[in-house]
Amino acid sequence: MTAVEFEMTGPATGDLRRRSSRRWKEEGIKGMLFICALLSVAVTVGIVLVLSTETVLFFREVPIGDFLFGKVWAPLLAPKHFGVLPLLAGSFLIVIGAGAIGLPVGLATAIYLSEYAGGRTRTIAKPVLEILAGIPTVVYGYFALTFVTPLLRGVFPTTGVFNAASASIVVGIMILPMVASLCDDALRAVPASLRQGAYALGATPFEVSVRVVVPGALSGIVASFVLALSRAIGETMAVTIAAGATPKLTANPLESIQTMTAYIVQVSLGDTPTGTTEYYTIFAVGALLFVITLLANLLAIRILRRFREVYE
Amino acid sequence: MTENTAVTTEQGPTSEPAVGDAPILETVGVTIRYGDTPAIRDVSLRIPERMITAIIGPSGCGKSTLLRQFNRMNDFIPDAGMDGQILYRGVDLYDRDVDPVEVRRRIGMVFQKPNPFPKTIFRNIAWGPVINGFKGDLNELVESALHKAALWDEVKDRLHDSALSLSGGQQQRLCIARALALQPEILLMDEPASALDPVSTARIEDLCFELKERYTIVIVTHNMQQAARVSDYTAFLDTGKLVEFGETNQVFTRPQHKRTEDYVSGRFG
Amino acid sequence: MSGILAAPKNLRRRRTQSAVFRWLCLSLTWLCLVLLAVLLVHATREGLPWLDWQFLTDFPSRFPERAGIRSALMGTLWVIGFTALFSIPFGVAAAIYLEEYAERTRVSSMIEVSIANLAGVPSIVYGILGLALFVRWLALGRSVLAGALTLSLMVLPVIIISSREAMRAVPGSIRRASYALGATKWQTVRHHVLPAALPGILTGTILALSRAIGETAPLIMIGALTYVAFVPQGPMDAFTALPIQIFNWVSRPQEDFHALAAAAIVVLLAVLLLMNAVAVIIRIRTQGPRS
Repeated sequence: MTAVEFEMTGPATGDLRRRSSRRWKEEGIKGMLFICALLSVAVTVGIVLVLSTETVLFFREVPIGDFLFGKVWAPLLAPKHFGVLPLLAGSFLIVIGAGAIGLPVGLATAIYLSEYAGGRTRTIAKPVLEILAGIPTVVYGYFALTFVTPLLRGVFPTTGVFNAASASIVVGIMILPMVASLCDDALRAVPASLRQGAYALGATPFEVSVRVVVPGALSGIVASFVLALSRAIGETMAVTIAAGATPKLTANPLESIQTMTAYIVQVSLGDTPTGTTEYYTIFAVGALLFVITLLANLLAIRILRRFREVYE
Repeated sequence: MTENTAVTTEQGPTSEPAVGDAPILETVGVTIRYGDTPAIRDVSLRIPERMITAIIGPSGCGKSTLLRQFNRMNDFIPDAGMDGQILYRGVDLYDRDVDPVEVRRRIGMVFQKPNPFPKTIFRNIAWGPVINGFKGDLNELVESALHKAALWDEVKDRLHDSALSLSGGQQQRLCIARALALQPEILLMDEPASALDPVSTARIEDLCFELKERYTIVIVTHNMQQAARVSDYTAFLDTGKLVEFGETNQVFTRPQHKRTEDYVSGRFG
Repeated sequence: MSGILAAPKNLRRRRTQSAVFRWLCLSLTWLCLVLLAVLLVHATREGLPWLDWQFLTDFPSRFPERAGIRSALMGTLWVIGFTALFSIPFGVAAAIYLEEYAERTRVSSMIEVSIANLAGVPSIVYGILGLALFVRWLALGRSVLAGALTLSLMVLPVIIISSREAMRAVPGSIRRASYALGATKWQTVRHHVLPAALPGILTGTILALSRAIGETAPLIMIGALTYVAFVPQGPMDAFTALPIQIFNWVSRPQEDFHALAAAAIVVLLAVLLLMNAVAVIIRIRTQGPRS
């Protein structure tokens, strides 16, 4: 057995005081990391600042009432109108259509995966959903324009080359994986004991799923719906490519419309000089979009927090 | 046997252990709180140097909390607070000027579940000294530490294998070697054999006997027989209070308090 | 049969109802696979005929036969390269702070709330921010740098969230062992937490960047050009990117350009598939078959 003694370099036993060099180094590192974390707050502040300052300049030219309640949107052609309702209507039309497809299919998929499916189905379905979620929106736009629209026009000949329906369908497919994944998490959070209790009372699988599990996961499901719809409203490229550039107040999905996001893209692609009212419309519409998605996300987060409190 | 219903924290002259005036580690009226709940109440204890001191008591009596306080590991628990003093060779460990990092270099710890780093055996042992500024020969350092932990013969040919390839008992001895490589004065052991099989447990107990020639050992254990076998001094804690402290022989065969007697004879806990 | 063991009168109806429901959910689940297949097959069928070596090396042109994605591909590489350069260090650093250093103060909660909200902001709003901040205020113009900075802000929350998860998965026992040996917090993070969390951080980063590659709106906002016949030489140069080229071609009325767009989509999807495969391989090799 070796009996070699080793000297430790450093202060002798008994001197336990802080070494200032080490303390400065540790505090310095902590400070740098803190600044990096503050960056996220800075970005949030930046977004709010940019949107609000430019929007304020916009509202110097255009009364806020005209903006929020006006029914005609024609900022680039004379006579100019700055009523945002047509853009809002366009966005909501897309959201409703996308929701009609994405929410039920996503929920049904989640129910199947968490209540019925065996391991093999999950190993196929999960990657499929991840791939669907990972496909860029520009590809979905292509798909809407070159596949869905011709299909629709075959069935409904009155459909325009640009129409809200194709974009809605495609955005629905886009948000589907998000709904499926979040609902799956929510359904699995419901304790097995609840299910087993129901089965023990002689319930069929349908009754257990729909009467026991889904209500138990309801907050999580609703939160996932809200998040998915918020994503649908913020969707840009698919609607720009397939839904059109004609802002109008309509409920007919077969017509071409324009969403808030598509309008912002349209203006950016053009040559709008800085400082003009048209330039400021980017920020005004952007601010409206930001506020809507922010409120939706905050709502979803709050619902999710309450949901987690119940089960954790 | 003295009938004493009041909890005592002072040792009477008849049971004064031969700790002397300069115990290596001493707690003075220490109360440790998590939030508002005290886990340790007014404990005054003097740990003798180069002896094995066992801390025993029923579950939840605060043994591990007290042990962790010795090397300032409770600093990581946000709500933990302490009244009283803990002195290491007369120096207050919780003084504002004291660096907890330096404390932990001198007072090492072995945990209940072996927790080797997911690195090689060599790196596990060499890492601590290196980050603490060791500039000598690492090979000698690693070999010496492994010898002290009675692990050298088993791993000398595979020093660069992953530490996770060792058995549970070997991993725990690796953790002991890792702690010893820093040449601490005191080694704190928090139920070091409770996750191990009986053979490994026996080896660790044997190791403790060897180690006490050089190191002071404070061992927390819920296994009374282990405390009786291994330790020189025993402290009995109950619901956070120090009920009795003395030479192990005396605490187990002629305990001074009824509570102690009840515990060591298995009437509760 | 009557008595205690008799089946309830409505059992048959309920059983049918249950079977129909199950069949419905199953079909809708299969629908997802079908939709994915249709989408991929459609794009591949349209695009594959136009996909050849010349397509990858030519610049865009008014003539579909001579058009290629060279400038778009190189532009994407430039932008994503710089995006990784900015977003990874800041993202991982922020995650380290939040996971290992932060105490429960008001500022920490503010940071956490910010990150959660930023993750849900539409990409076009990041584009607007980039336009005002990088293109105009910092006067970077419509450069690779402005595009990269904008995309960095967009992927930052994603990188922070996934890196935090990777670090959270490192067992506390490792940290305790490190501290008990007299290590400082940074030494613990640097030598133990980060190496153990590295595969997870890598996977999260690759996935975040693969999302950034497909983003069009922010780059349009900062002024990436839609018709570019050159390759960027430096970070201040103008550029185009693959999704922008796709958008450009899809927006034209001619069928041939739609087919070109499909070919570019095939390339884009191939790149994404590659990145995701790398991420999955990293995850499997370090965690075992359970994902």
